[in-house]
Amino acid sequence: MLKRTVINLTVWIVSIVLLAACSSGNTGKTESTEKGKELVYATAKDINDMNPHLYAGSMPAQGIVYESLVENTEDGIKPLLAESWEVSNDGMVYTFHLRKNVKFHDGEPFNAEAVKKNIEAVQSNASKHSWIKLSTKLVSCNVLDPYTIQLVLSEAYYPTLLELSMTRPYVFISPNNFINGETKNGVNGFDGTGPYKLSEHKVDQYAVFEANEAYWGGSPKVKKLTAKVLATGETTFLALKKGEVNFVFTDDRGTDSLDVEAIKKLVDSGEYQIVRSKAMNTKMIVANSSKSDRPVYETAVREAIWHSIDRETISKQIFNGTESAAHTLFSANVNYANVDLKKRSYDLETANRILNEAGWILEKGQAVRTKNGSKLAMKLYYDTNSSSQKTQAEFIQDSLKKVGMQLELIGEESSSIANRRSTGDYDLLFNQTWGLAYDPQSTIASFTAKPSYYYTTSGIAKSDELYKKIDQVMVSMDEKNRTSLYADILKIVHDEAVFIPITNGSVTIVAPKELKGISFKQTQFELPFDRMYFE
Amino acid sequence: MGRNIIKRLFISIPLLLVISFLTFVLINLSPLDPAEAVLQTQGVPNITDELIAQTKEELGMDQHFLIRYIRWLLASLQLDFGDSYVTGQPVWSLLGPALLNTLKLTIVSVFVIVALSIFLGVICALREGKFIDKSVRGVSFFLTSMPSYGLAALLIWYFSVERDWLPTSGMDSYKSYVLPVIIITISYAGIYFRIVRSSMLSNLYEDYVLYGRACGLPEKKITLHILRNSLQVAVSVFCMSIPVILGSTVVVENVFAWPGLGSLSVKSILSRDFPMIQAYVLVLAAAFVLFNTVSDLINVAMNPKARGEH
Repeated sequence: MLKRTVINLTVWIVSIVLLAACSSGNTGKTESTEKGKELVYATAKDINDMNPHLYAGSMPAQGIVYESLVENTEDGIKPLLAESWEVSNDGMVYTFHLRKNVKFHDGEPFNAEAVKKNIEAVQSNASKHSWIKLSTKLVSCNVLDPYTIQLVLSEAYYPTLLELSMTRPYVFISPNNFINGETKNGVNGFDGTGPYKLSEHKVDQYAVFEANEAYWGGSPKVKKLTAKVLATGETTFLALKKGEVNFVFTDDRGTDSLDVEAIKKLVDSGEYQIVRSKAMNTKMIVANSSKSDRPVYETAVREAIWHSIDRETISKQIFNGTESAAHTLFSANVNYANVDLKKRSYDLETANRILNEAGWILEKGQAVRTKNGSKLAMKLYYDTNSSSQKTQAEFIQDSLKKVGMQLELIGEESSSIANRRSTGDYDLLFNQTWGLAYDPQSTIASFTAKPSYYYTTSGIAKSDELYKKIDQVMVSMDEKNRTSLYADILKIVHDEAVFIPITNGSVTIVAPKELKGISFKQTQFELPFDRMYFE
Repeated sequence: MGRNIIKRLFISIPLLLVISFLTFVLINLSPLDPAEAVLQTQGVPNITDELIAQTKEELGMDQHFLIRYIRWLLASLQLDFGDSYVTGQPVWSLLGPALLNTLKLTIVSVFVIVALSIFLGVICALREGKFIDKSVRGVSFFLTSMPSYGLAALLIWYFSVERDWLPTSGMDSYKSYVLPVIIITISYAGIYFRIVRSSMLSNLYEDYVLYGRACGLPEKKITLHILRNSLQVAVSVFCMSIPVILGSTVVVENVFAWPGLGSLSVKSILSRDFPMIQAYVLVLAAAFVLFNTVSDLINVAMNPKARGEH
């Protein structure tokens, strides 16, 4: 009996082992990168569902497959799938003249009908797109002729072109991919008009994009792009060293997959170069102003924290100069953000004075200030997956200690931190602005939203005024008025010190030394791979 | 024997039901509104109250907890675990391939672990207290106590980067199996070979061994007899190692970018993909129950006393 069982078991195991070995042979993909033609980039997450009208997909991947009507550039809005456009005097009608001879990856022509179908598909799921205010203002989409389309809004909305230029949702997928004329419940293919087409996808392993030879803007020189899923920074570093991966860029949350030292080593080896964009976002500490029983409810405490943080040292020591010190919520290169605001420099003396004046007293022999029996103690939440946040948190904890503030550090997953932000269950937490193209309008619009910064802004004295001005700025068609409203908004949150800036983050690329044409878009979420080439 | 199997299977069903119910309850105890979790996982940039209400209705979350549970259970019996919150694809279409990938890694690893544990266990028992016994135990103690994360990075650095013999990650060819299997083997063979060794040692001084020797049986034959008896203890342990490894490949899969259950479970937990987590727990629990049953049955088959035969 035993003999038979053992024999059977052995035969079973051997067969499965053989089966496993045989079947795995076909999955082979990541042979060494073909120099001069191919880029293999590491990504912490799978590209996921590439439906461009929903939000689960990887933005860098969606950005190379799909295109929008217009493009946001450093010099303003430029044509993309629309060659030109007119806006009616009342700001409610936008007429776009489409580029001719553009085809979707499946050969379907791109024309006004396709635009109409796509826009209507997005609008049929409008509640999901409410963050993009255009979705709430679009009344109709009319075909004027095969290459002219007209968008009619319910009221003037100044960021219309900006929102039409974003990676999603107003981008175009072949109507052949629609399911029952819709895209909200999924699509049956991913055919965009972009410079690359998705040719292969193995969930949680890799995705291959091939150059679109029929691309209207000319076929890209890098013929093949592979997104390889590598969850950990250590493996990514080793894969880069070996050449299995030859391109890395910092991900959208700013939680860099490689730490500064690892990047330096790769560059020192002479095989890689490092390229950095200009400031794309602001990394900051967000203070909860909504709970009157917590110390951070007080403006004075928030101001004292602001003064106690030595941003220059953080920039130089922790980020090795890769991020610059930030003194305002938005950097000066963000639209409407070049506002004259009171500078709060690193100054422990001022921090001490502010706290003393606010009644937070440091008793003799005590390490922590108190007021009416309460300790000046707070909790700071950081993302455990960020290679730098813990170090920054420890550094800040030490600085705050010097002025009698106690900071408890708690590391959590980013989803848990997002949950705290949306429920108001925090004193302080690390966050970052939405980034270029989305700043300032999207970040500011999210001041009023519970899942975003409602608990950050709702406790301040001028919250009603702030919310009113936010509503006004979004519909204002007058540039001067808009500038003035944005200045007021930024002044209110700056004076209240609810968003405590630390550094300005940028997109960092580690690429083969011979790769040229590396540039950036006006967003931290995607890269213009089609402009890159090997020399 | 047949009655035994039927009896065991009948016990397994209520056990799985309890597990499934507990999983459902625990997930529903999460402080985060499930509808909000869905929207968060789908990356919706701004979640409004209306959107939460709409999502609740769409997913049937506005219904009573028990109704939702029964619905889920009935569907699960047909392997329909619902759709992933993140991708919208059926859970089974994502869980199935991941389970298969982890199973491939597990089976190969278990095969190596069993072979190595028996080999080392026998050698150490036969050379009890000698240099080889002491050194094998010493080395295994050192290796099993090393964190697999660090060990994996070290092996990748040496074998993949420095020597260029193996890939750093992925599951592209049979070569991809080598390093993950080594890491899993180091974690488990170090424990299992001790079981074989001590079981061998306790058999070494049994009367039947003395009797065999007295009858002049060759030493090889006696050793085989001892091994056969010793393995009775080890077989159930080996059997249970399959679900144990199946459920504990998180670190290895993350380091080696192996697209299996470990990576999937971490991803699902971090993104609060509840349907995926529920299915994962249920599949793993079923694996534990199944292999526990199998190990009991093997024990019964190997041990006449256990099935009432003398």
